[in-house]
Amino acid sequence: MIDFLNQFFNSPVMQDALPPALLIALITASMSIMVVAHRLSFLTVGVSHASLAGLGLAVALSLPLLPTAAATAIAIALLLAVLPNRQGINEDAGTGMLFAGSMALGVVLISSTSRNEVDLFGLLFGNILTVSPDDMQWIMGGSALVVFSIILWAKSWWSMAFDMITAKASGIATSKLRLILHGMIGLTVVMCVKLAGIVLTTGLLVLPAACAWFWGRSMFSLWALSLSFSLVGTLGGLMWSYQYDWPSGAAIILMLCVLFTASWAASWLQQQYQKSR
Amino acid sequence: MSTPIISLSHVRFGPAKKPILDNLSLEVPAGHFMGIIGPNGAGKSTLLTIIAGLTKPDAGHIDLFGRCLNSKTRIALQKSIGYLHQKHANQPDMPMRVYDVVAMGLTSFNQPLWNGLFADKQAEKDAIQHALTLVEMDNHIQTDFRNLSGGQQQRVRLARALVRQPKLLLLDEPSAALDSPRQEKLYKLLRKLCDENNMTVLMVEHDVAAITSYVDSVACLNKQMHHHAKKGETIPDEVWREMYGEHVNIVAHDASCIGCMPSPQKQSSQEQHHHEHHHD
Repeated sequence: MIDFLNQFFNSPVMQDALPPALLIALITASMSIMVVAHRLSFLTVGVSHASLAGLGLAVALSLPLLPTAAATAIAIALLLAVLPNRQGINEDAGTGMLFAGSMALGVVLISSTSRNEVDLFGLLFGNILTVSPDDMQWIMGGSALVVFSIILWAKSWWSMAFDMITAKASGIATSKLRLILHGMIGLTVVMCVKLAGIVLTTGLLVLPAACAWFWGRSMFSLWALSLSFSLVGTLGGLMWSYQYDWPSGAAIILMLCVLFTASWAASWLQQQYQKSR
Repeated sequence: MSTPIISLSHVRFGPAKKPILDNLSLEVPAGHFMGIIGPNGAGKSTLLTIIAGLTKPDAGHIDLFGRCLNSKTRIALQKSIGYLHQKHANQPDMPMRVYDVVAMGLTSFNQPLWNGLFADKQAEKDAIQHALTLVEMDNHIQTDFRNLSGGQQQRVRLARALVRQPKLLLLDEPSAALDSPRQEKLYKLLRKLCDENNMTVLMVEHDVAAITSYVDSVACLNKQMHHHAKKGETIPDEVWREMYGEHVNIVAHDASCIGCMPSPQKQSSQEQHHHEHHHD
């Protein structure tokens, strides 16, 4: 075991993969409690799939990949925040429409370029081993922005998730903060795409908080637990990936699913124990 | 005369042909406890949301605490308002202790996280404890909000509205989830807050008989203000009919309360009680 850990941490591939993966684990853990509290899981599915349009645009127009995808994802996330309010469209339906439409646009754009330019498997399922120094700079900048927004507005977002009407009546600028929350979720999604791909990104933004939900009793305890689950899931998943040569994104999501099952089972057992006393 | 806490002037909301509120003018002084009654769809909740700054009226002018309520002043004015709405739309799955729910009502709560490092934790704790004591929920301070009954949750929401010690408290059917003794305790508490803390309270309720011994006045609302009965004043039968329609059957009672003074022809030898019994 010690030998394996030595090999794992000293491997040049993992030394490159660990910093971005752990940074992404930190921000996804922090945003995931907001995603779950605001019931925005489907938004993350929509935005992650819609970012394919941004990636397609970047490939078609030879633009930088991550910034173009980030701009597209944020624009779509903001559109999803505004559309239901203005046009009376259900948020669920709005997400479904934009998700399908922008995914279709992405597929068309990517299919019209030479196949060799695009690592489609990497886009769909992620590959943390392909993070370039430029990507790393983008991930660091984006993470700083997300962390800063959490420090500024976490409490207001929490109040809004609990009771939007009372939050607005308390003097919180709910419309503005909702837009910022959507924008930050969009940004986080794009950073996750590098690690888990378009298809699996939602897992990173839902599973850490879902694991913590059984045990947390306040925003801070949920955040601390979510962060712990996210870091353990990411490290454990990368170890699986290293050991069995599995795709890194899928291995991390699988590890988080195992943690969720363990957390749920432990919580169920605790309930049974309390009932029997 | 001192500046009224609420001053509405010719407020209209809704389509011009079918307004929800029409030409509504109202002044409420400090320390006043007002009950608002009216049939379903009368615009009672809309009126509260307009005063709370949640809904923008289509016409008219609103002053709160002597300042005009508009998009620039809204957030500053809302810091002096406690609001308990009718839709209990809180997220039922969020893990929250009662303490944290009430803490969200503090004006200092929605600040950047670094402000928490310098906040006076003891003062916050005392304020939360005091608000929960007022609604008799202080022994549940660490309880998970999800594990409380509907009535207990309602009392915690009220504590959340009270914790910032608002100058104006807006309550939309606050007694909906409460049993009778709790309702009475709530009205007594509100009366005490008006008398001792000079708090102004506007409360939408359906059962006028239950509130009349506690409130200073009752506003009879149905799209517009039909009557504003002061303490000791009778709400005339025609006002009931205007509000609820001709089919209303007014039952005479006794009660030494607003709007419930029996008219001489209706007085009987028995003690009577007069309130809005309306039968289709």
